[in-house]
Amino acid sequence: MTTISSAAEQPTAAVVAPPAGRPDVNRKKLARLGWLFSAPALIFVAAVTIFPILYSIVMSLRNVQVSGGGIKMTGITGANYSAVIHSSVWRYALGFTILYTVVTVLVELVLGTVIALVLERLTAGRGWMMALLLIPWSMITVINAEVWAYIYQPTYGVLQAIFQAVGLGHPDVLGTPTPAIIGMMVADIWKTTPFVAIIVLAGLVMLPGDVYEAAEIDGASGWYTFWHVTLPLLRPTLALAVMFRVLQAFGLFDLPFVLTNGGPGTSTTSLAVLGYQAMFKNLDFGGGAAVASTTALLVLIGCLISLRTFRVQVGKENT
Amino acid sequence: MATVSMDQVNKVYPNGFHAVHDLSLEVADGEFMVLVGPSGCGKTTALRMVAGLEDISSGIMRIGGREVNDLSPKERDIAMVFQNYALYPHMTVAENIGFALKLRKLPKDKLDAKVKETAEILGLTEWLNRKPGQLSGGQRQRVAMGRAIVREPSVFLMDEPLSNLDAKLRVQMRAEVSRIQRRIGVATVYVTHDQIEAMTMGDRVAVMRAGVLQQCDNPQVLYDRPDNIFVAAFIGSPAMNLYEGTVGDGGRSVRLGSQQIDLPGAVTVAHSGLASYAGKTVVVGLRPEHLPAAQAGLTGPVLTGDVDLVEALGSELVIHFTIDAKRVVAEGAHAADAEAATISGEGVARVDPRTPAKAGDRLNFAIDTDGIQFFDPDSGAAIWT
Amino acid sequence: MRNRKRTGWHRFINGVNISTFLVALFIGLPLYWLIASSFKTPVNIGVDPPQYFPDPLSLSNYKSAFVDYDFGIYFRNSLIVTLIATALVLFLGTLAGYALGRLPMRGKFPMLVALLMISVFPEIALIAPLYILLEHLHWLDSFQALIIPDTAFNVPFAIWILRNYMLGIPKEMEETGRIDGASPLRTVWSIILPQALPGIFTAGIFCFTACWTEFLMALTFNSSNNFRTIPVGVSLFGTIDITPFAQIFAAAVIATVPIGILVFIFRKFVISGLTSGAVKG
Repeated sequence: MTTISSAAEQPTAAVVAPPAGRPDVNRKKLARLGWLFSAPALIFVAAVTIFPILYSIVMSLRNVQVSGGGIKMTGITGANYSAVIHSSVWRYALGFTILYTVVTVLVELVLGTVIALVLERLTAGRGWMMALLLIPWSMITVINAEVWAYIYQPTYGVLQAIFQAVGLGHPDVLGTPTPAIIGMMVADIWKTTPFVAIIVLAGLVMLPGDVYEAAEIDGASGWYTFWHVTLPLLRPTLALAVMFRVLQAFGLFDLPFVLTNGGPGTSTTSLAVLGYQAMFKNLDFGGGAAVASTTALLVLIGCLISLRTFRVQVGKENT
Repeated sequence: MATVSMDQVNKVYPNGFHAVHDLSLEVADGEFMVLVGPSGCGKTTALRMVAGLEDISSGIMRIGGREVNDLSPKERDIAMVFQNYALYPHMTVAENIGFALKLRKLPKDKLDAKVKETAEILGLTEWLNRKPGQLSGGQRQRVAMGRAIVREPSVFLMDEPLSNLDAKLRVQMRAEVSRIQRRIGVATVYVTHDQIEAMTMGDRVAVMRAGVLQQCDNPQVLYDRPDNIFVAAFIGSPAMNLYEGTVGDGGRSVRLGSQQIDLPGAVTVAHSGLASYAGKTVVVGLRPEHLPAAQAGLTGPVLTGDVDLVEALGSELVIHFTIDAKRVVAEGAHAADAEAATISGEGVARVDPRTPAKAGDRLNFAIDTDGIQFFDPDSGAAIWT
Repeated sequence: MRNRKRTGWHRFINGVNISTFLVALFIGLPLYWLIASSFKTPVNIGVDPPQYFPDPLSLSNYKSAFVDYDFGIYFRNSLIVTLIATALVLFLGTLAGYALGRLPMRGKFPMLVALLMISVFPEIALIAPLYILLEHLHWLDSFQALIIPDTAFNVPFAIWILRNYMLGIPKEMEETGRIDGASPLRTVWSIILPQALPGIFTAGIFCFTACWTEFLMALTFNSSNNFRTIPVGVSLFGTIDITPFAQIFAAAVIATVPIGILVFIFRKFVISGLTSGAVKG
């Protein structure tokens, strides 16, 4: 078989050096319009977020004194950071925040996936279950904290009543370090697992049905199908959800602030609570800014790592 | 009412891709011009340059004699029908058709009258209050047409408007689009990758490949006298059989594999250029209908092939056969799959349905030598005088 | 599902339905506890063992939340801040989402990644400089102290959601508009916007939820009672020693109802938003 291209003297539509053509006016005009349309949003966001981030970094590198007339910044110093890094409270808060993030996200992911798999098989009332799942997601975290504070209340809470009924004594959940951490995690898991479940469920529903039929015809078992078909297909959905959950859990503030105020002692003091206390309780703006900046840096690193890992997904959308 | 004229028009994208190369084309007033070619040949880019949706890198584009290079789409007084119709899903059929007129601030009563009139032409009257989502594919296509013709543009542009329809509806709409175009009598540029659409609809057809215009003429000329091997292979279905052949002394015969075909005098005169190829290789083109089964007592040139497959279409038999000559594929004229499926030496013939032929037979085909074509194997250009 | 014919109520007893019931219980019980407790009298709310069903059913907490704890002020403030911020976010986000989704801008992808990062940036890192800035402007204890940052923090996510919706609209829609002679603004308004409505609903409900539940900034920037929002107000009910759970729960139920209704009505959009590529809790 011979292949002949017609009219050999005619150039093909390959990549050639662009001749001195006129600039693409349409594209330019549309691009200008694009910047015009996005400028208000971008400028607004930059003014309210990027400027403070820079200011925060500056503040963390200077001696800051708070007086009645406002704040005064002098010199340039690494003292705030060295104080933070050498502080045992900060180290504990970092460890607590990481532990809290890892445990809650992991539990929410597993539990959420299980719930989604159950709901996917539900034939009637799925809409109602979805609506029910959305309530914890949309609930004010402070209110969630108050509900659990009432449940954990040491003298008339429902939990101690149940424990007492089965002969396990009177637990003071929020007054004892380890139970306080666990109790807080439970409150978080209650509020956020439904969110993970909805995402996974929506991901499941969107999976192509013929893949399952093919797996069934191939004789794959339910478990095998789940591990080797469902999970790999869900990976992009799960990955992005986990990324957002991790970054969000890292900023943990509302729950400990209301439930325990970081206590007992400092056992539930997250990085955000620590930063808040430094700035607005001890008026140590330099130290608070250092805590905040290190937290932000950790989040940024986490975000960049996640983006690199999931680049395929994010990049694909741009095309 | 206007003409469209392209003078050495080029399109080079910022990334260096040269999509349209020195395209010169004249569309007369009222003419139905079809741009056809395989995907990526630059036909849609050319159309979008007429519309003003794509900048012209160099060359001059004129509509009605006026240079329009720097005019925006709305200043060019054109209407366009898109492949996916681009109907506004939130507007009713009437609102869709009337949108452009509304933008021109036409008074309400006039607008309604025009929309009604257009709907009547297209048989859409009873659907005017429906949303596009409630219509069938053919009706949507009609709405898209209506939206274009209601404006009475001076040029009508269509970008593969029928390719989203199923095969049967496509045939029906083909006739209808032609009918409407004749009725409004506006110069039309119609882009398609389907050569049957091009042949059936176009007053003239411009065949493009890789950004370059190959040939522009009326459909019958394209079919009978293709300028080059690409046009020959692209136009016609089933496609022309192309074989490597060796030209005999004085261009009076050609050898396909082991078979010698003597060319009658009329053919050698028409293709006198063949003489200079004596002893050399050319590409020989034979359309399937130029290979009827040989009747007993035939005297003219004959091609003998081994039958691989017989497809009965009722009106005729399509016979796939093999000869021992080398098959030639014109690059880009067919989809890659079709090219891959072409077996060396395979050919196709269309014969009388009563021909007794079955797979495995050896069959003689009478060669209708008037239809035989020759091409230079290097340049691909047709060999005539 | 393997269909073994069962009769009567037995056919409702299967693994899926039992698991669903357990899930509903897991989510529903704390909700029940919240609602039930809001109807207990202030005395009954503190008895041990607790009342599993409020007896007598009392509405006094609801009245008390408004009369004794200024819940009306907080509710109004939350509504003002949330509605204005949501409107601003939708306005800015729709324009930018359209541009970043559909117009050929150089460098828009880095821009989108930057926005994504800002949308997950921890509030705690911004709170001090914003506080100082607002103090300079004498804007502490005001609505704009919350509306402006709320808007800025929610615009990036709204842009992502809207961009993803805009990407799904065929480009021929705009081209038809251009050929028909519509101006760019007209094209966005009459052609793109109506088709992007589901995305706008989605972005709106996410933004509403985020602003309605926002706590840290509201706590820090507005210390005057007249400008407190629901989360801050509720967290400060009572004194150091006494937590008035009864009134808190009454307030909580009222605060959860509007968002609950919104989320229920627009659940289709919420779910599509959660799965539209950019996901945020």
